[in-house]
Amino acid sequence: MVDRLWFLIPELILLSGAVVCAIGGLSNAAAIRRRVGFIASIFLIAACVSIPFVYSQIHVVDSSSLYPWLGKYVKFTVGIIGILLVMTSGGLMDRKYEHAIASGKDRFNALRTSAGEYHALLLLSITGVMLLCEANDLIWLFLALELVSLPTYVMVAMSRWSRVGQEAAMKYFFLGAVSAALMLYGFALMYGATGTFVLSDMMTAFAEQRVDGGIAIFGQIGLLLALVGLCYKIAAAPMHMYAPDVYQGAASAVTAFLAFVPKAAGMIAIIIILSIVGWENGLPSIVEMTLWVVAVLTMLLGNIGALLQTSTKRMLGYSSIAHSGYMLIGIIAGPPLGLVAVMVYLVIYGATNTAAFATLASLSRDGRSIDSLDDIAGLHNRSPLAATAFSISCGSLLGIPPLFGFWGKLMLFAAGIAAGQLSLVIIAAVSSAISAWYYLRLIGLSLLSPNTPRSESVTISLRWPLIAAIISAIIAIGGPLVLKSLSSEARQAINQPE
Amino acid sequence: MTSLLQFIPNILAMPAVPVSQVVQSETLGWASFILWLPLISLALCGLCAVCKVKTKAPAIITTICLGTSFVLTVLLWQGYEQPVIIHLFDWLQVHWAEGSFVANFALYIDSLTLLWMLFVTGLGTLISLYASEYMEHDVGKGYTRFFAGVSVFLFAMTCLVMGDNLLLLYLGWEGVGFASYWLIGYFYQKPSAVAAAKKAFIVNRIGDVGLALAIYLIWSTFGTVQYDGIATALASHQYETSFGDWTVHAIPYLLMIAAFGKSAQLPLYVWLPDAMEGPTPVSALIHAATMVTAGVYLIIRTYPLFMLDSHALETVAWVGGLTAFFAATIGMAQYDIKRIMAYSTISQLGYMFLGLGVLSSFGAAYHVFTHAFFKAVLFLTCGAIMHGFAGQLDLRRLSGLRKMKGWKIVSYTMLVGCLALAGFPLTSGFFSKDVILAEAFVTQGAGFKFLGWLAIFTAGLTAYYTFRVWFRVCCGPVQYEPGDELHGGDETSFHPHAPRFAINFVLVVIALGAILAALPYFMPNETDGLHGGWIAEMVNDSPASAGVPGAVVDSHAVHDSGHTGDSGDETHHGDILGMDPHKAMYFISAVVGFIGIAFALYFHLFRRKAADTLRSKLLSRRTTRWLPTAMEHKWYVDEIYIALIRSPLWILGKLFSMIDRYIIDGALVNGISSLPRAAAKWFSPLHNGAVQSYAVSMIGGAILIVLLMLFMPEIVEFLQSISQQGGEHTIASLGGAQ
Repeated sequence: MVDRLWFLIPELILLSGAVVCAIGGLSNAAAIRRRVGFIASIFLIAACVSIPFVYSQIHVVDSSSLYPWLGKYVKFTVGIIGILLVMTSGGLMDRKYEHAIASGKDRFNALRTSAGEYHALLLLSITGVMLLCEANDLIWLFLALELVSLPTYVMVAMSRWSRVGQEAAMKYFFLGAVSAALMLYGFALMYGATGTFVLSDMMTAFAEQRVDGGIAIFGQIGLLLALVGLCYKIAAAPMHMYAPDVYQGAASAVTAFLAFVPKAAGMIAIIIILSIVGWENGLPSIVEMTLWVVAVLTMLLGNIGALLQTSTKRMLGYSSIAHSGYMLIGIIAGPPLGLVAVMVYLVIYGATNTAAFATLASLSRDGRSIDSLDDIAGLHNRSPLAATAFSISCGSLLGIPPLFGFWGKLMLFAAGIAAGQLSLVIIAAVSSAISAWYYLRLIGLSLLSPNTPRSESVTISLRWPLIAAIISAIIAIGGPLVLKSLSSEARQAINQPE
Repeated sequence: MTSLLQFIPNILAMPAVPVSQVVQSETLGWASFILWLPLISLALCGLCAVCKVKTKAPAIITTICLGTSFVLTVLLWQGYEQPVIIHLFDWLQVHWAEGSFVANFALYIDSLTLLWMLFVTGLGTLISLYASEYMEHDVGKGYTRFFAGVSVFLFAMTCLVMGDNLLLLYLGWEGVGFASYWLIGYFYQKPSAVAAAKKAFIVNRIGDVGLALAIYLIWSTFGTVQYDGIATALASHQYETSFGDWTVHAIPYLLMIAAFGKSAQLPLYVWLPDAMEGPTPVSALIHAATMVTAGVYLIIRTYPLFMLDSHALETVAWVGGLTAFFAATIGMAQYDIKRIMAYSTISQLGYMFLGLGVLSSFGAAYHVFTHAFFKAVLFLTCGAIMHGFAGQLDLRRLSGLRKMKGWKIVSYTMLVGCLALAGFPLTSGFFSKDVILAEAFVTQGAGFKFLGWLAIFTAGLTAYYTFRVWFRVCCGPVQYEPGDELHGGDETSFHPHAPRFAINFVLVVIALGAILAALPYFMPNETDGLHGGWIAEMVNDSPASAGVPGAVVDSHAVHDSGHTGDSGDETHHGDILGMDPHKAMYFISAVVGFIGIAFALYFHLFRRKAADTLRSKLLSRRTTRWLPTAMEHKWYVDEIYIALIRSPLWILGKLFSMIDRYIIDGALVNGISSLPRAAAKWFSPLHNGAVQSYAVSMIGGAILIVLLMLFMPEIVEFLQSISQQGGEHTIASLGGAQ
């Protein structure tokens, strides 16, 4: 037990960070209240710093997890992107209220602040992703996934005090509950088929069943339901419908969070669940077929859906659906290439997608966040930096060489081809070509087009999200330099020796 | 017809430079600065542009950098002992199980490289010095841009010549093409300059495709793009023939297309005359002395590959010979002196290709060397005239330059250039041209004898049009009209401004070079019995010697031994009118040259009216009218190309554009893009924002998947029954995976 606790040190750091943030946010001293973001970042940095020490060779040898090194990669990268996400949220909460207090128009009332809670929830959700890596039974897996999701429901709700935000939060919550129910039902059936919750035991049970002529029908239905439930987390078809509504309804900073953290959790959970069945002898054909159909539908629906949108956030929401589809190619391709590609792509996608939403988060009109495509027209006139960061992130999401996104897609597609999934890769390439239409439109609007009457009043109002966007854009440009070490870390994370 | 085939066995057994001799050099790293200095100059020019420098600094920087490059080349040549490879850094290295693709950033230094680099960097330095004065009216405007372009050109040309593999050569090849585009379009406000730049770029592209394909085929056939690797593979017959034999036959023709494009040969020569829209130093450096000889260099460098096909070199010879004649006839009827020089460049390049074709790679390279000097001096004098007379280039509107104050140097350096170009006895051009002409009679090949006589006739035409220019412009009574670039003052008060120190100095130096370029032919060499002196050794100590008789021993000995026992017709090739071909050629070409000069003297100095009367006489007669008209209109080649290539392409383009607009965009794209909209309408009840319907579709989807799984065996059976109806009885059981 002590061994497992040792690997939870980063999580423990973040948990204490969540507590400090929650309390600090209620402090009478404005200096502390306003700096909960810094506090959260410091705890994230501390967690990241601890990871190399926690995952030293000596300790990992004793680990009983399926993927002993997985935590090192996932926790570190999620922690780093988490810092960017905290920066993106800078100035989101309590801005007007703090102004009012500072100018003496209002008095401080602990009940009316929410920055502390927000950052605490953010840290908790990230903790959930980290805990997921240490799962060695289904209960742990489920609880960790819920720890990822539950805080996000609240974050959506508190990010915007408007009807849209509340509606988005409610939708997200209800549909999340439905998906969790499906997933849990799937877990129950898997338990029924194997008689155990412990992942390694399930693995042997499934292996025996496959030798004896196939996995029991309960087990298959359970697997499918679990996968379908997890599709909600990664916003894949047929569970993708909430994504555009929720992404549009939440504040841009929270959307950036939603587009990365639950998705990373979902992908890791899918990898863990599928590794119970094992890629070695090929996935069971029904699972592979389902994933195939889900991937194709997700890519096409995401990219085609984005074409006709007039809302930037909705467009990016659909685009993030499509990216889940791309990542599913890696899942289908399996280890080692496919999973390495997924791992790397998660990081690339996280960084570049954050840049796009962070740019949007930094913009506002009359103190209200912006949404329509019209609002980003002529962005280069007002902030060349923001327009460049936004365009780089769109270019990277589209996969323009030599940006980071290109290499990610290349790895995914190459893995797909190596695994014999040529038709899937062709569909992915076609849908990626379709996506060029709207990504280039975003780039063109922000970099080339003149101001419109509507966009003239849009200003850069928040500094921290812009900084986050610029850092992410730098990652999108400079990332290829560390691609080699990143993928070798990812290789280690999925137990593949160099 | 089979004449070249007989060489093939021993050619393949004889790599130009035995590979064991090629050593990696560790100590010659400094030689890379020949390559980097133009790049440094480019960076500094860029800095000047950023700082908006309004002085002649860019010219000084470029001249110093190129001059240092030249000094380094001379040092490298002085220390030269054997071919070396100087490895700078790994560039492209891809290895896999069956093979590899390696193209390093490495320099291959043999005597051929050095010969080329000596005149490339030397002339580059001198011409950038010249340009520092020539371009002075643009100081602070395009001055920096000009010298940046020259630096880019020199860098690319150095890559092209010094690279140790074909890919680096390709980099340089594209680079010089780009620099040429940059500098032809220097006066980008002039529509004609922009059009000329585009034309040059597009026509060159055809050749570049040839080079790219050739490199690909060479790589797939020999497994390498490095020169020493290719030589090894050729020597040991180790080449991949899994694609079939045709690759080894296709390679020389593709290389030929590349060379014809870059060196302006038929049918791709049309860009070069228009390229004269660029500033004159550019015409002298890029479009006369160096870049256009890249095609010759390419063929010399890959000479062994041309032995792989028995007709490849014959094709080269024919294209070269015909181009030489054809361009000379056009040059005779032009009035713009720079254009005359452009056509003469094409014509002289034709001689070089003829030389390559008749197995006289030494003659070709030597002619490149002498031509670089005398053509540079001719262009630079044209430039000086253009500079002084406000853009006037029409030889009918200039006369008696020789007698004007300050124009003596220009006139007499031009005379030096003209003499060399006309092949006047004892000038450098005389010797280099004679090598080619003589070899045309010596080497056996389809119609080489005819090509020889055609080339001699062309030599007469060359002498005529060359001295037409000199007698018109430099002799006769003093008369001039300013050109259309007149700035300030009216035509009556126009005074030509004579060139000053920089231009005169460069003219004198290059003219001296043009005279002294005859010397290397007589400088003793160390190879026993090698005809052609120092320069022959420089050329023959390289792949250029592959297949050339007499590269190692005295050429005449081989010719003589080769001809004994041949039929009477064959022996006739070995000599001209019963004399040694080289000695006979000295007399023949001298006589032909004198005749040409004499015609020019009569028509353009003593009785200038006679030329006009002759022209009008020809024009008045219906039977002869076509000749002067066609010649003045450059045989209507541009018009023919427009009719045959441009118009059909334009019509095709219009057609495609219509298809694109109405069928693809109209029917397909809009049609397809309306599908998602239709689908969206169809599904809009589902996507209505109500959480219940979302939940229904989610659970519906899940149920669908589960149902699909439960009925999987039935579905598979159904699919199998369908496919079995199609005649497939052996389909694998998909249900087995269950």
